[in-house]
Amino acid sequence: MARVSLTNITKRWGDFIGVDNQSLEINDKEFLVLLGPSGCGKTTTMRMIAGLEEPTAGEIRIGDRVVNDDLPKDRDVAMVFQNYGLYPHMTIFDNIAYPLKVRGTPKAEVAPRVEKAAAQVELTEFLHRKPKALSGGQRQRVALARAIVRTPKVFLMDEPLSNLDAKLRVTMRAELKHLSRQLQITTVYVTHDQIEAMTLADRVAVMKNGVIQQLGTPDEIYNDPANLFVAGFIGSPAMNLINGSVKDGMFVTTGGTSLVKVGISDRDAVVLGVRAEDVEIHQPGEGDIDLKVYAYENTGESVMLTVQFGQQRVIARGDRHLRMDMDDTVGLRLNPDHLYLFDPASENRIGNG
Amino acid sequence: MQDKRLKYLLVVPAVLVVFATAIWPLIDSLRLSFTVGRLTRPNFPQAYIGLENYNWAFFDEPAFWNSVTVTSIYTIVTVALTTLIALGLAMLLAPGGRLRSGVQTLLILPFAMSPALIGVSFRFMFNPEFGLFDAFFGLLFPPLADISWLSDPVLAFVVCVIADVWGWIPFLTLVLIGGLASIPRDTIEAAQVDGAGGWRVFKDVTLPQLMPVLAVVLILKAIFSLKTFDQVYMLTNGGPGTATQTLSHYIYFNGFKYGQIGYSASVAWLMVIPMLVLTYFYAKFVFRKD
Amino acid sequence: MTGRQRKQFWNAIQIILILIAAGIMIIPIIWIFLAAFKSHVDVYQLKLFFSPTLENFSTVFQSPYDLGHKLFNSTVVAGVTVLFAIPIATLAAYSFSRFRLRGETTLLVMILATQFVPAVVIVLPFFVMFRDIGLLDTRTGLILVNLAIVMPFAIWMIKGFIDGIPIDTEEAAMVDGSTRLQVIWNIVLPMAAPGLFTAGIFCFIIAWNEFLFALILTNKNAVTLPIGLALFKAEEGDLWNLLSAAGIIIMLPMFILALTIRRYFVQGMTMGAVR
Repeated sequence: MARVSLTNITKRWGDFIGVDNQSLEINDKEFLVLLGPSGCGKTTTMRMIAGLEEPTAGEIRIGDRVVNDDLPKDRDVAMVFQNYGLYPHMTIFDNIAYPLKVRGTPKAEVAPRVEKAAAQVELTEFLHRKPKALSGGQRQRVALARAIVRTPKVFLMDEPLSNLDAKLRVTMRAELKHLSRQLQITTVYVTHDQIEAMTLADRVAVMKNGVIQQLGTPDEIYNDPANLFVAGFIGSPAMNLINGSVKDGMFVTTGGTSLVKVGISDRDAVVLGVRAEDVEIHQPGEGDIDLKVYAYENTGESVMLTVQFGQQRVIARGDRHLRMDMDDTVGLRLNPDHLYLFDPASENRIGNG
Repeated sequence: MQDKRLKYLLVVPAVLVVFATAIWPLIDSLRLSFTVGRLTRPNFPQAYIGLENYNWAFFDEPAFWNSVTVTSIYTIVTVALTTLIALGLAMLLAPGGRLRSGVQTLLILPFAMSPALIGVSFRFMFNPEFGLFDAFFGLLFPPLADISWLSDPVLAFVVCVIADVWGWIPFLTLVLIGGLASIPRDTIEAAQVDGAGGWRVFKDVTLPQLMPVLAVVLILKAIFSLKTFDQVYMLTNGGPGTATQTLSHYIYFNGFKYGQIGYSASVAWLMVIPMLVLTYFYAKFVFRKD
Repeated sequence: MTGRQRKQFWNAIQIILILIAAGIMIIPIIWIFLAAFKSHVDVYQLKLFFSPTLENFSTVFQSPYDLGHKLFNSTVVAGVTVLFAIPIATLAAYSFSRFRLRGETTLLVMILATQFVPAVVIVLPFFVMFRDIGLLDTRTGLILVNLAIVMPFAIWMIKGFIDGIPIDTEEAAMVDGSTRLQVIWNIVLPMAAPGLFTAGIFCFIIAWNEFLFALILTNKNAVTLPIGLALFKAEEGDLWNLLSAAGIIIMLPMFILALTIRRYFVQGMTMGAVR
């Protein structure tokens, strides 16, 4: 059980900066997700906690101990790898038992603990097989069992679900969440999948180019994005971002259309952000603006309308019973309670609608 | 043209060449091994004499058994030494980086050297008066200073082994580096995080996963050690006496110095048999399913 | 020591070991290079500093050594061997790679096995035959037997390269209306060209360094460079400065060739057992 704190951590390879002078406090028993596109430094950050990479500068603490100079084996962490990192020449039992054996756990203790861990991830009947004989989902569970067979200070999970097919990923996600609530161990979880981040995390750190863009609860990240990057990265479909300016308290698009009343003073360049579910679909003439449908998609649980809006396209989510076709005209209204305004130069959020 | 005919047509030239240049001589050697086959007599290869040549080798020729012993010891020692050193060197060089990949590039050089030239070079290196290695060993162990290495049966054998190991380490090292590179990195990192130190990671995770490549390397090296000829010919020419006479050299000597082609062919075929066994195991690795 | 200090300590030990190993690998080669530029007086001493001379290189090309003739033989024999081996091997490799043939595995194993047969076994019948039909001591004869050692490598290596070319492009060309032979000529050959080049160089090196066949099947007209080394044994012992000069002429071109195909050496030598 432990806090993890990173203080002014930098990782550089030659001229390339992987992580740029970042600090991060991870609380005891917290489930923290590092979220970002590939190459943003999230995996590097985790590997530095594990001791698989050495930070170029900065200090890493696990509990009260500065671990910068400790080898991975001395850090008392457990890790689940993206490709699972199972030992192909060992049986599942030996795979799970390895962390115990290598730490000199008495023989009599090993078997019951392996069996318990295997039971927790429903692997009991596969213990005598080799990894090759298991499916992807089962291998994933072995990796998980190998991590939970001990009680480490910290769990580290590097995109553990990314190699599973979409359906299995949803099931495993729930199992993972259940397990982590049960075990109550500090966890750092790396992913590029925002749904995983939203569903699993106590807090999410959104990263880009080696810098943490925003650190907050899933709720905060979704409803209170700090900047354009976070706004655009979180949410599916991505938030609509419309370029324009603010004149007389109204947001005016680059094309000159006066769209919606906003709560900031006049400004030349502004980006207006609005999520698809906050774009209401009405009959022509009944919304803020009438537009032509570019594409109509029915996903079953809702429908998506893409409309042409000057040079840009805007996506609106509508009721699943709505039926439309290309080139129909609709009236759109932006929900004034859920608008975000950004400064295009600094990319920072400057206000709400 | 239909693929089903074309596909056989395409392999015909190659199969013909392989048959003409390798399979036919192999079979013809077998035929020769049952004949008198003396170059000095007319009407070559003369009469068939059944297993007479094999009898001769087995029961009347201590020199044959000598070369079997020499070849066996030579093979065991060179295979063991080369593999062990190459494994160590591969572990040292595998991580990459400027120095390590530079040295990896250097490893190509001894391998591109003709074995005959390696033999000559080591005769030079171990010259008692002005050989560089001779001077070096003399410095380390003064009793070895200015020894006439190649005139001493044991030392001549040692020099042959050193030359062989020197020539083969680079290739084996490169193969093993390739093998190490194909081990998934996350299994090694998983072991580190699981709590294993350097030696345990090697013993528990790296080595077991390297076994298939190691087996290939062992078999390949054993095959080439058994065949050894060029270096020994240039280095000691089998001497002093027959102290370093390998089977290949023995066959060469009997066939082309004494003109006993029939007898040579029988010994040669005795040598083919272990080779086929090794090839069988090698082919198993080539066609293994991953 | 902390974990990291121990790591640094081991790293230092490793660097030292690597340097020692590199030294052992490279010093004999450097020593030969130095000896080639030494006068016949200097070479018989353990001298690191000497006044270099190019004399050895001109001597080896003169009578009685006449290394130029051997250089010519080696080049022709290795070159022609490769010119025959690569096209023949390419056709077979394509078929092995893309089609299922009856007896394919047997054939491939047989081809593999011929590489492992001791050269001294193969040379016996060839010697007898060449003696009868007058091919002893000819470059033609030598080329013929060299094909025996080169073909298996060439077939296996090129097969490996063609295996690595995605079949989509070929299928696209066939859908677009090409015949199989057009596909091989227009699609496969250009895409496999680097592989064919690599295999060619690899085989050239093997043929160039070949010793036993040349030793037994030639004695004067068709003698190649490795056999030429034996010329430098004089009554008073080995002529090391000349041997070294000849050695450089043998190995330097091979070093250059080998470096150009460095990446494929392992693949070639193990014939598909190590990928």
